[in-house]
Amino acid sequence: MNKPEKVTLFIQCLVDTVFPETGAAMVTVLESLGLKLDCPANQTCCGQPAFNAGHTREARAAAVKFLDIFEDAEIIVCPSGSCVNMVRDHYLDLFADDPKMLVRAQAVSRKIYEFTEFLVDVLGVESVGARFPHKVTYHASCHLNRFLGIDRQPRTLLAHIDDMTLVEMKGADTCCGFGGTFAVKYSEISGAVLAEKVKNIVDSGAEVVTGCDMGCLMNIQGMLSRKNIPIEVKHIAQLLAEK
Amino acid sequence: MTTQKEFIQDISTALGRPTPVSVDVFTVAPTTAEQDILKAVRQRSSGERQPFIKTLQEVSVPLHLDFHPERSLEDIRQAIITLILEKDPEWGTKKSVVRWDHPLLNSLNLEAAAELKDIPLYITNHVAATSSADDLQAQRQQTRKEVEASFIGITSADYCIAATATLAMKTRPGQARSVSLVPSIHVAVVEESRLLATLKELYTLLKWDEAEQAEGLTNNLSLISGPSKTGDIELVMVHGAHGPRELHLFVVSDHR
Amino acid sequence: MSTIAPEKYKENASKNIADPVLQKALSGLQERLGPATENLYNSLPEGHKMRTEAHQFRRKAIDNLDVLLSTLVDKVRGHGGIVHFAKTAEEAVEICKKIALDNDVKTVVKGKSMVTEEVGLNLALEKEGIEVYETDLGEYILQLSGEAPTHIVAPAIHKTRREVAELFTEKLGTPYTEDPPILTRYARKALREKFLKADMGISGCNLACAETGHIVTVSNEGNIRMSTTLPKIHVAFMGMERIVANLEEQQSILRLMSMGAAAQEIGGYVSYVGGPAEVDHGDGPQEFHLIIIDNGRSKILADPEFREMLCCIRCGACLNVCPVYGKIGGQAYGSPYCGPVGAVVTPLLFGINNSADLCAGETLCGACKQACPLEINLPRMLLALRSKLSEGDPDWDVQPKSKGENLIFASWQRFNSNRKVYDLLLGLMRVLQHLLPAKQGMISRLPWPLSGWTANRNMKKLAPKTFMQQWREKKEKKGS
Repeated sequence: MNKPEKVTLFIQCLVDTVFPETGAAMVTVLESLGLKLDCPANQTCCGQPAFNAGHTREARAAAVKFLDIFEDAEIIVCPSGSCVNMVRDHYLDLFADDPKMLVRAQAVSRKIYEFTEFLVDVLGVESVGARFPHKVTYHASCHLNRFLGIDRQPRTLLAHIDDMTLVEMKGADTCCGFGGTFAVKYSEISGAVLAEKVKNIVDSGAEVVTGCDMGCLMNIQGMLSRKNIPIEVKHIAQLLAEK
Repeated sequence: MTTQKEFIQDISTALGRPTPVSVDVFTVAPTTAEQDILKAVRQRSSGERQPFIKTLQEVSVPLHLDFHPERSLEDIRQAIITLILEKDPEWGTKKSVVRWDHPLLNSLNLEAAAELKDIPLYITNHVAATSSADDLQAQRQQTRKEVEASFIGITSADYCIAATATLAMKTRPGQARSVSLVPSIHVAVVEESRLLATLKELYTLLKWDEAEQAEGLTNNLSLISGPSKTGDIELVMVHGAHGPRELHLFVVSDHR
Repeated sequence: MSTIAPEKYKENASKNIADPVLQKALSGLQERLGPATENLYNSLPEGHKMRTEAHQFRRKAIDNLDVLLSTLVDKVRGHGGIVHFAKTAEEAVEICKKIALDNDVKTVVKGKSMVTEEVGLNLALEKEGIEVYETDLGEYILQLSGEAPTHIVAPAIHKTRREVAELFTEKLGTPYTEDPPILTRYARKALREKFLKADMGISGCNLACAETGHIVTVSNEGNIRMSTTLPKIHVAFMGMERIVANLEEQQSILRLMSMGAAAQEIGGYVSYVGGPAEVDHGDGPQEFHLIIIDNGRSKILADPEFREMLCCIRCGACLNVCPVYGKIGGQAYGSPYCGPVGAVVTPLLFGINNSADLCAGETLCGACKQACPLEINLPRMLLALRSKLSEGDPDWDVQPKSKGENLIFASWQRFNSNRKVYDLLLGLMRVLQHLLPAKQGMISRLPWPLSGWTANRNMKKLAPKTFMQQWREKKEKKGS
């Protein structure tokens, strides 16, 4: 694919409200590649939390709003695998019985990309000239890895960061126990799953844990912080923006 | 009580159709790939079967199956006699052996072995279908008693699959299914010509070979891969859960 | 013996998470079986398409279940078998009870069968004074200890060798040993006596083959062969969906099932049973009864959203990879069907409302779908169940689960649909969050409904400025 004229940013609500530095890092990386960016200011949540909790009516309303805002974009890029999974795949489920909306959802589904996927598969970029002299471990988040099949792309980008050591944790592709409202409603189970993830991160000897989904990383950060473990959590965009 | 008609009708309704419609779900002719398998199996030479022996040796190890190197009838006969003499019975102290009435096993002529003269060697005899109910019952009870008493059961097999060391056995008169199951040690003697490469070959034959089709699967077809085993206590693998603790396999060479 | 109590999911989960022995057993099991199964899938000579095809074979069978069952039934009758039909659990139990009473059955040996657990067979037979013995070693251990299974394939995996040793010493009077081979031999001896004296053997049916008219059972211990060879009567319980059209299709499904169940190329004993022993054969049962059971399955069949679930062959592969199952174990699900498969099947068979926690209590990570030999889309069906729970569904007798939660999401939707309101609310929350206990920007206690989060982790505070605000400011600066 040719380099797009303009990239429209879809900023995951968690990035927007809690981790804006992740969004800023993504902007830095994309602008350094000479891309023109646009970011619709009225965007909000894509509806995934509602959808995963079974509230399809509310999820559908969020989807309609999303399509209204984004359907004219040339290409949409988002720093979250699970939000892309929602828009790319589940919007189609939400509108399966609504032919008119389905056509709109399909059009958007075809032009939304997860950040690392966009860099590697669309732009053909493997190195962005980043340097990060630390030991890093990578958490392969579920929606990204299993549902979108994106694993090679982030790993390629990580492999090209100068002076960085990537240490593989045990069970890198095992769920961190987040699961949206699951983490709140079944916090004990979620915490047990998360505790194992945190143990594997600690055992890897990494100073930083990275990934492509702030939901999972926020979850991991929450327990690292609770246990006073001095391992930092950084979205892959933040590593790629380091010089 | 629910009748078949009611039961099936509910399913048809759930499927959104008034009654079972005739649909094309059953295959009536082999695919090209299946024809190729049939041809390959039928035309396979003894030389082409030799790699199966090596495969069997390899897969036997993780399966805990004793694959014996003897290939001639005479050597196999000796090896089985040695097994009978050296192995200890699991239940009680008296030794007896039971075997199928099967041409290959008959040709081993174990009954003539002087070393075994003190060990009863039972043969699961044919039960005549025309016998009276009482006779049939008596015959079955006799077989049952002999099988229960025996610490070694000797069978052949319809096929032996190299890739998985699987023995396929139909049930026939004189070939009681309990012989491969109830005795502590199962000894199987198979003609080399009965070796197949894969389960897929086995199923292709069972499905499309004319002789197999004519006989059908019989009311009991067993596929046996290795001795009985369990990992139910702390995932520790133990052989001899309920079926045979040991399975000894002999392949009789075509050039005997 | 399983009782159906999915309501206790959270409570049971909590207990099991706190049990270090169980935790060790579960992680040992998952570490061993999960990757081993995946390796077998990866080395399939037929390649990955074999799994996709096998799914289609199953789907075709389910879509033509009326035809396939009719064919099976005709063939089994042709082989001399007797076929019964049970719409409900009670009917299935009654049929079996009648066969037992008519034949003056005193002792029953059973091969592992989930559907007999589902219908509650053992208790009913025991009430008639019939001795019933589970013969799968794991099931036997649980029968002796009076516990529910932890795993579909390895039911007693939560029992340590020490616990089994104590149990056997107490119940079987055997000398104390913690050696698994010796313990296995004790069970072998005790059950051999039962096999030899039993007058009825009961099995399940892993997968019937319609065109030949056989049921198929798979085991590694040989207990199912013993149960179906030695007693004079064999009764097979079959969930009506456990069928496939052809031998060639069955070949691939049985192989995949063995990989999913125990990381094997093929189960140790695969037995085709088409009817009773032929008259002139020296052994085998003289009567063969096949009980085909609906018990809620035709309702699943009728719903296009859930029909796929009937493709499941209960191999348990999804248990070996599920992060949630790996922590809470099988007993937490309060059903004979546990793990990801249980989280979908239990609500569909035993009521969605009382299994609400089973529907909602997963992360939707998708590991189950990836591990399923038939690639059944369990996450999709969990979502469908959740949707029924939030909105209600008269077809499935589902009442909306929580008015509170519905209210929360309805108001969420209201502010999510208007960025100005959204920003106002964020502003308010930004102020309010200063009231919460926090250290270095991490909140350590959140109020309801988010309090669960901070039960075991902290939460980063909302940023002083949203990304959108920063973006706007950046653009304004550029513009000026």
